[in-house]
Amino acid sequence: MPLVYPLLLSSALFGIGLYGVLARRNAVLMLLGVELMLNAANLNLVAFDSWLADNVHSGQVLTLFTIAVAAAEIGLGLAIVLALFRAAKTINVDDLEPTRSVGDS
Amino acid sequence: MIQRWTYVASTAAIGLAAVIMAWPHLGDDTGTTAVWIEGGQLLGVGLSTHLDSLAASMLLLVSGVALLVQIYSTAYLRDDPRYRSYALLIILFLLAMIAVVVADDLFVLLIGWEVMGLCSYFLISHGWEKEPARAGAVKAYLITRFADLGLLIGIFVIGASYGTFRISEVLAQEPRNATPIALLLLLAVVGKSAQFPLHTWLPDAMPGPTPISALIHAATMVAAGVYLVARLYPVFLASATALAAMALIACVTMLMAALFALTGSDLKRILAWSTVSQLAYMFAAMSVAGREAGIDHLLSHGAFKALLFLAAGCIMFAVGSTSLSAMGGLRKSMPWTFATTTIGLAALAGIPPTSGFFSKDDILAAARDSISGPYAGNEWIAATVFVVSLLTAFVTAAYAARVWFKVFFGPLKEAHDAPRAMTVPLVVLAAATIALSFGKQVHWEIGVLTTVIAAVAITFAWWVHLGALAMPAGVRSVLRNELGLDIVYNRWIPSVVDKVSAATLIVDADAIDAYPRATAYASETSSRWLGRSQSKNSQTYATVLSLAVVALAVVVVVWG
Repeated sequence: MPLVYPLLLSSALFGIGLYGVLARRNAVLMLLGVELMLNAANLNLVAFDSWLADNVHSGQVLTLFTIAVAAAEIGLGLAIVLALFRAAKTINVDDLEPTRSVGDS
Repeated sequence: MIQRWTYVASTAAIGLAAVIMAWPHLGDDTGTTAVWIEGGQLLGVGLSTHLDSLAASMLLLVSGVALLVQIYSTAYLRDDPRYRSYALLIILFLLAMIAVVVADDLFVLLIGWEVMGLCSYFLISHGWEKEPARAGAVKAYLITRFADLGLLIGIFVIGASYGTFRISEVLAQEPRNATPIALLLLLAVVGKSAQFPLHTWLPDAMPGPTPISALIHAATMVAAGVYLVARLYPVFLASATALAAMALIACVTMLMAALFALTGSDLKRILAWSTVSQLAYMFAAMSVAGREAGIDHLLSHGAFKALLFLAAGCIMFAVGSTSLSAMGGLRKSMPWTFATTTIGLAALAGIPPTSGFFSKDDILAAARDSISGPYAGNEWIAATVFVVSLLTAFVTAAYAARVWFKVFFGPLKEAHDAPRAMTVPLVVLAAATIALSFGKQVHWEIGVLTTVIAAVAITFAWWVHLGALAMPAGVRSVLRNELGLDIVYNRWIPSVVDKVSAATLIVDADAIDAYPRATAYASETSSRWLGRSQSKNSQTYATVLSLAVVALAVVVVVWG
């Protein structure tokens, strides 16, 4: 299988994920977009691993590692969204008050 | 009461110190220069004094009159609520005048000169509840400050031409740039000594307390202009233009002011015009190389004019008005004032044997001598000075006699003579007026001439007083209005200043301010545009970030 097919697929996935992050106003859907981009990267890792015919399959190992990290990250992210919903009664990011930071009045 | 005499004691102490300093230098024509503090790097301004015969006699005059005025004021301003500031300003004035008289460094002289002007301003406006006092003070300050610019610029020109600001070092060198320097200094002295065309401030300074008129506006400060000319006399002598200008100003001023005094109706204003006229005599003497005569007249005028003002204060104290019409017939009820005023007016009119007679004749003799003499180069100037001085002597005797008749003669009037603290200074000054004539040279031809002129003038004044003779009404009203010069000044100068300021405002608002306003507008607009990027919306930031990454990737792929 030529390398270009998985790369095209991963580019499409990344683009969809980026669009989700930038365009969606729902925090859960933004997190889904992030997951899509992450998995596009994973697909790239597997594809290059196979293309390079690496003996130790470091690409596949790294993908497994990334999946584990992503699982932890999405757990944390959903917990934050839940806390946000409890505090603000909404998860629409445009309706949320901007968080205060140093320097803001 | 005790408090008021502490100011007298302070003045006496300062005056005594000045006298001790001055006494050994009387008659010392070369002078002694003492450097107290060397000039540093900054403009070479140091503290040094120069004492010669001229400075020493000025010191005696200034401290004497200041002390007498301070004594006089203890009674004259007995109930004044601001006595303390008044007395302290007199002391400050005395110190400033001493600084001007002894300064060898031109900047020290300038500082003293300006402090004198400031004291004059404060003391004219001492009774600031009254409108004329405020207006007169502002007028005096504006006019003299304008003239002081001449002194400031003149000092800079002196420094640039001679390389030093010390008077003794300047006079030791050959005169350089004499005409511009002398003309600039002339502007300063014309303002300070109230000469034409900057003369209008002195009569308007009369709402100030009368002892102040005696001290500042008759005897000392206004004479500082003459002193400055005498001090830098070689510079003036080197410039025929400046001498001619000075002679012209002096001639115009002396006759004009004497005529104003002749028609005046207010005693203090008459004396103020008389001061202007007598100061012009001193400048006339200076302009015909009669430095000694000018200084002698300065000293004798300082004594008799201070006497006349203090006597006027006693008369006003008794009748409660400065108007001549409120006076009359006071010769019996105020014997001390009558006797001393008679001596003062005789000196003013130039009647022997008072000092005014001798010093005025000295001036006339100097003018006569320089018609054929080596100085000034232009006989016409000396001749004009001589003729105008004679004419003015006539008018002066006439107005002095008129004041004498109006105040002391006529139906007798009840009044109380002033308290002793006020009459004693009068007696001292009257004695000085006589004593200053001791040892003076008599110019017989001129002396006889002026005495005859004075006698004729007094006769005329007597006829006018009896009503046998009167001045034409038209001439009188023109002179009463003081030639309308004040109207010219009050109308034209403000309107010119108004127009200039309006034009300046337009230039300022439309041309100069355009630059700061344009930068403000530019930064405001650009910050509004830039502010839009700071939307606090993280998704917008992320979008911009992603687009930038894509753009960079395209750049790297296409051109990399």
